[in-house]
Amino acid sequence: MKSADDIERYFQKSTLSTNSRRHEAVFEKIQRAQDQSKDTAPVLSGPKIRNKIMKSPTIKLATAAVVIAAIALGLLEFIDGGGTSGVVWAEVVSKVEASRGLIVRSTDHSPSNEDEYSITYTSPAYCRKEFYKDGQMIRTAYVDFTDSDTDTLTDVFHIHKLCVSDTFKKSENELFLEWHSDWTNPGFLVQKILSAEHRKLGLKTIEGVLCEGIETTDPAYFGPVPEKFENPQAEFRLWVSVETRYPVMYETKLNAEHQGKVWEKESVMDQFQWDVELDPNIFEPNIPPDYERVHVPDIKER
Amino acid sequence: MPGRQKARLFLCALINTSVPPEKPEKPYIKQPLLVCNRVMEDKLLIWKFRRGSRDALRRIYDKHHGHLLKLAVVLTGNVDAAEDVVQEVFVNFARSADRFGPAGSLKSYLITSTLNCVRNQRRDNKRRKLQSLDKAEHVPSMARRPDQWAVLSEHLERLSKAMTCLPYEQREVITLRMEAKMTLRQIARLQETSVSTVNARYRYGIEKLRSLLNSEVTK
Repeated sequence: MKSADDIERYFQKSTLSTNSRRHEAVFEKIQRAQDQSKDTAPVLSGPKIRNKIMKSPTIKLATAAVVIAAIALGLLEFIDGGGTSGVVWAEVVSKVEASRGLIVRSTDHSPSNEDEYSITYTSPAYCRKEFYKDGQMIRTAYVDFTDSDTDTLTDVFHIHKLCVSDTFKKSENELFLEWHSDWTNPGFLVQKILSAEHRKLGLKTIEGVLCEGIETTDPAYFGPVPEKFENPQAEFRLWVSVETRYPVMYETKLNAEHQGKVWEKESVMDQFQWDVELDPNIFEPNIPPDYERVHVPDIKER
Repeated sequence: MPGRQKARLFLCALINTSVPPEKPEKPYIKQPLLVCNRVMEDKLLIWKFRRGSRDALRRIYDKHHGHLLKLAVVLTGNVDAAEDVVQEVFVNFARSADRFGPAGSLKSYLITSTLNCVRNQRRDNKRRKLQSLDKAEHVPSMARRPDQWAVLSEHLERLSKAMTCLPYEQREVITLRMEAKMTLRQIARLQETSVSTVNARYRYGIEKLRSLLNSEVTK
């Protein structure tokens, strides 16, 4: 069969634009539909039965008494908030989001991984990630988010004495909502796992800290995988301190089939230090003078 | 970037590690941060949308309306019908916040919704015996109106017109393959038929389309 490349090219050349006035008019209709949707309820809201109960003054008073008692007993943390996220977890989200700076260790147990572990320093405006092997820092990556339109990545490979820098325009990356949010950001991970279907794991003591855990096993949690990877399976577990309500450990286990072989990855994020004041100087790229410097836009992509 | 590298970066990004260049002297330079952010964007939008965010709905609309309109135009061969379809898809989507789960791809969901909407429209039109889409497609409504939402390039007008000469099933296969980048297996599932049937529809459809577009495709 003759290749369909010519037709594909024709499809690519076949474009359309939209009339902006009409575009807005259509969106107004769509937005009205959203507003009128009676069923649109925040996922984190409580069960509907709560509204019915609260219509009765007697039940309202009795419920208030029970809630006060529950708070006194410290039980409120473990009340489930409608099958999705309980009170404690909502608080975890807000605490993580409010954290000024964070330090965390990440360990990848996969044999193919070059580094043994990495340490990430994250602030709202910067990120620095150090990769270690045999006690030596083999790589340092810096990301600068301060510019309103452009993020700058500086990646220093110490073994190769190479520094690679690149800039990324936010506007060219399909309307990011959370440019800073990614899988190296534990705050983002907390939000992600809570937004997915998950189950509670109960209590567990991790390095002397009493924690409560949740788990999701839905591969769709991390989005579509490349076609060549089949049967993806995943386990994500998040453990949060009952006392501080900050994450203490995040475990990831993934496997998929790729070209007839089973591909596996396991990683752990631990040793979290939340809400720390980080020295801004650590985010300044430190590039030794004998390192070769490469700026990516100068290189034609292969 | 080669697909293999893309896949490698993607998976490394998932487990929160970064990948040093395979050949440092020729770095490929696409960081997991970026790759993963792209992948995650729809998930975040859905997450916000489910919480009633207008901003998320707006972004989903802005991001996806273009390719859905193009898809619908090519499938229906009629701009008016395509606009109705896409508007209906988004209106239904806007009402579905509580039903739309975090799992699955937003793009696939919207494409499938568009496809279903086109099929429903065709069925309804046939049932009512008013003006079937097939009939309309042979006299494509491409006339430009001031209030028209989709403004087609000349190429798209020609392509859309040529596509109406194909049986609908072939049109669907080619559109989903070319525009939605679906595999034949995925299309077979959507059409509830075998991969070999889809393959045949694709092959015959491409040949017919090539002959219809004649020298245009080689330009």
